[in-house]
Amino acid sequence: MRMFATIAKLLVKRVLTAIPILLVVSALLFCILRVLPVDPAAMSLPPNATVQEVEAMRKEMGLDRPIYEQYGIWLGKLLQGDIGRSIHFRQDVTSLIGTTLPATVELAVIAMMVATVFGLAGGLFLFYVRGTRAEAVMDFVSILLLSLPEFLWSLFLLLIFGVFFEVLPFTGRLSPGFERPVVTGFLLLDSLITGNISTFFNALEHMILPCLALGIALSPSLMRVLRSSLLDVYQDDYIQQARLRGLSEKRILVRHGLKNAILPTLSLMGVQFGFLFGGTLLVEIIYSYPGMGNLMVDAIRNADLPIIQGAGLTYCIAVLVISIAVDSLYLILNPKLRAR
Amino acid sequence: MANPILSAQGLCVESVGGAESFPVLTDLNFSLEPGKILGLVGESGAGKSMIGRTISQYLPKGFTVTRGMLKFDGEDLVGMVPERRRNLLGREIAFIPQEPLSGLNPVLSVGQQMKEHLARIGLASGENWRQRALKEFEAVHLPHGAALLDKYPHQLSGGMCQRILIAMAFASRPRLLIADEPTTALDVTIQARIVKLIAEMQKRDGTAVIFITHDLRLASQISDEIMVLYAGRPAERGPAKQLFSAPAHPYTRCLQLANPTITGPRRGLFILPERMPGLRVLKELKGCRFASRCPNAIEACTQAEPPLAEIGANHIAACIRTEKTPEIVPPRLAPGRESSSAKIHLCGEKLTKSYTTAWSPFALRTSFKAVNSVDFTLGEGEFVGIVGESGSGKSSLARLVVGLDTPTEGQITLAGRDVTANGNSERAYRRDYIQMVFQDPQSALNPRRRIGSIVTQANEASGLHSSTQERMDRAAELLKEIGLPPDAAMRFPSQLSGGQKQRVNIARALCTLPKILVADEIVSGLDVSVQAQLLDLLLKLRDEHGFSMLFISHDLSVVRYLCDRVMVMYRGKVVESGKTEAVFADPQHAYTRSLLAAVPPDDVNMDWSPVLAEAGYQVE
Repeated sequence: MRMFATIAKLLVKRVLTAIPILLVVSALLFCILRVLPVDPAAMSLPPNATVQEVEAMRKEMGLDRPIYEQYGIWLGKLLQGDIGRSIHFRQDVTSLIGTTLPATVELAVIAMMVATVFGLAGGLFLFYVRGTRAEAVMDFVSILLLSLPEFLWSLFLLLIFGVFFEVLPFTGRLSPGFERPVVTGFLLLDSLITGNISTFFNALEHMILPCLALGIALSPSLMRVLRSSLLDVYQDDYIQQARLRGLSEKRILVRHGLKNAILPTLSLMGVQFGFLFGGTLLVEIIYSYPGMGNLMVDAIRNADLPIIQGAGLTYCIAVLVISIAVDSLYLILNPKLRAR
Repeated sequence: MANPILSAQGLCVESVGGAESFPVLTDLNFSLEPGKILGLVGESGAGKSMIGRTISQYLPKGFTVTRGMLKFDGEDLVGMVPERRRNLLGREIAFIPQEPLSGLNPVLSVGQQMKEHLARIGLASGENWRQRALKEFEAVHLPHGAALLDKYPHQLSGGMCQRILIAMAFASRPRLLIADEPTTALDVTIQARIVKLIAEMQKRDGTAVIFITHDLRLASQISDEIMVLYAGRPAERGPAKQLFSAPAHPYTRCLQLANPTITGPRRGLFILPERMPGLRVLKELKGCRFASRCPNAIEACTQAEPPLAEIGANHIAACIRTEKTPEIVPPRLAPGRESSSAKIHLCGEKLTKSYTTAWSPFALRTSFKAVNSVDFTLGEGEFVGIVGESGSGKSSLARLVVGLDTPTEGQITLAGRDVTANGNSERAYRRDYIQMVFQDPQSALNPRRRIGSIVTQANEASGLHSSTQERMDRAAELLKEIGLPPDAAMRFPSQLSGGQKQRVNIARALCTLPKILVADEIVSGLDVSVQAQLLDLLLKLRDEHGFSMLFISHDLSVVRYLCDRVMVMYRGKVVESGKTEAVFADPQHAYTRSLLAAVPPDDVNMDWSPVLAEAGYQVE
């Protein structure tokens, strides 16, 4: 019971501190993008518009007022869920993010799962071979993996499995001809809900390569952190004491070693997960995956300010949510952090 | 004679894995019968803990048994298949660790760990583990057992964790228990209770115990037999009382005389010079390992290793001149100081420090007084001891005195000036007068700075001796005073031994020649030989510089040796104070009496009856 009270307390505190953070980020987003030498009024008009038309548009958009007033108007609309209209796509930014964000979340979550599996397995293996000759080899391999970025993995995997062996698809989220159910926006989830199994498997096939590329690129740092925290934990008295009580090495590892060593690994996973929201960008482009990354690239290329602002805020909220989730998990796993 | 539960014959452990091989344990012979306690005594590095590790066969990498036998109930422990040995561990052979707080897994509750252990030894399965656990807790006098099961180790005191570990160890009614310095990390009163508890449980189950300690006095109180180890080899072995009252080996005698007494007339401390030879040099050593430090050594001692010879019933010693051992006497005590000069350096009046818990919407703010209306004075050249258990407010008081904290109420006067406010000018003023020596040199000395720069650190703030050359000169002077070679100035803390680090710690405080030192537990955790060296160093330095000192310690015999006056603290208050000898000879307050009773007596025939009732468990 006390644990839930503590977690509730943490949630309240973190949500309260999240509000000023979001305000600061929104102000920064708004002001910095206003300073850019692009004129939103001119951009939302056809190229043959007259100066008078531009002026009229500026007035209509409120661009002639002081910047804090503009910010106030923008913030007021934001709170009503209106981030504005995309200049390029001629669509509400909310609906654009609404369709691309689930795609990126799906990509990030599955990539994180892949990274966790590879990271934990690799970390355990690195720990297992400690002090043997294999350790040097594994050390070399893990550093090699650490130095390969995700876009290289994307290209390797695409060339091997997509082009050479032609076993996996490598563009978009679905092959042509598949029905696309929309319930929550999460394709995998929606196809399961509607019982559309063929769509589910087709979507899953499309995710394999990008998720593998991201997951493999993230896993080496997890491996190394898990290995070194396991090595630290194994210096502690309670591990020795557990041995002296005759517990098996397997039990010591799972119940005493991993339970303590997982904590630093978990914080790294939280950081990585946050980065994934911005970090899927290159992978999304390589696999033509219709997520937030591709949306951002289009927006930046077209100086589409409303989308950039919307995407920036979304990123900030995602990072805050993840850090709150990781901290709650920490409370569950580490009794020392709970109130006495 | 009953069959021994554990016996060793000519047991040798060597390190063979590394580049060079060297002996770790040499020629160990002993046999331990059921229901008996064998005390293992020696300085750190003597190989005491290695015996426990040999029994469990969890030896450090490269260490291996090269010769001899080690048998548990007739079974060969060394050659045994690992599965069989693991089966014995926790069931038949139990261990109690040195650090109770780190001996339990921090992320599992006490109940989870108890359940795991009970299931492992096959005592309880399913849900009846809870009853069984409570029964075991009751046996070690842990009340509120049910509430305890949901606690995590960090919520409990060291004494309680140690009781839980003892309950775990005895749950399976083991036939052999190895207790490795089980009380070193605990307060003196808790130490007494834990030692008595181990003895009680051991009697209940007829368990044979190996009790490892660096405290010869403690070992002689609870053991049947004692083995003194020196550099991995037994120096002496015999019945506890006989060995303690008439030690045959000079090393045993020196250890005994290095420890200050708690009763009787005060005597000087025997200073064992230098250090025990490192294991790596043992191979080149031809003669007796102790010869280089032995006051009785003659030419013959350095020629051949002395055999373990019988000198009485069941009493053996590895010395060729045992008849000369009683001639080793402690040095004469320096004449007592006349502290009548009575020029008051430091004065605290009604000092109070209260702490308030952080504001929270879920709980009321509570406040407690760590230091509660304490009055004290410190005269010129006077050493005043502050004793009490952890949590009694000793360290909080020290923090107020040196200005790390500001008192909530009361006044501190330093050499005639009120420094209570603790602002910038008070701090600068205070810095010239008071320096603090911290408890743990390991963490007090910056590992990335050289010793020469550490000891002259105070010069950075004062602007005195600011050139590098001046600082190096000052460092050389300081190192000479504390008895370290001049080349130590260029070394890093990690290259020094524990005792040398604590000397550096003292030298750093002395750099600007303060009038007052505040020393917080600066000799606890050190070997008695090193402790004796440091205590005499402090007395010598006082003669040279005439500083005074507030000396915080939980070791009453050390305070008795060193301090002119003593203050006894209990729950933030001073419950008794006065001249050290008067207070210890005739304590007025019940708490002082219970502290004194908790110290094992100097005379092994005297009854050791510490107050075992705890003042109250702090279970939430």
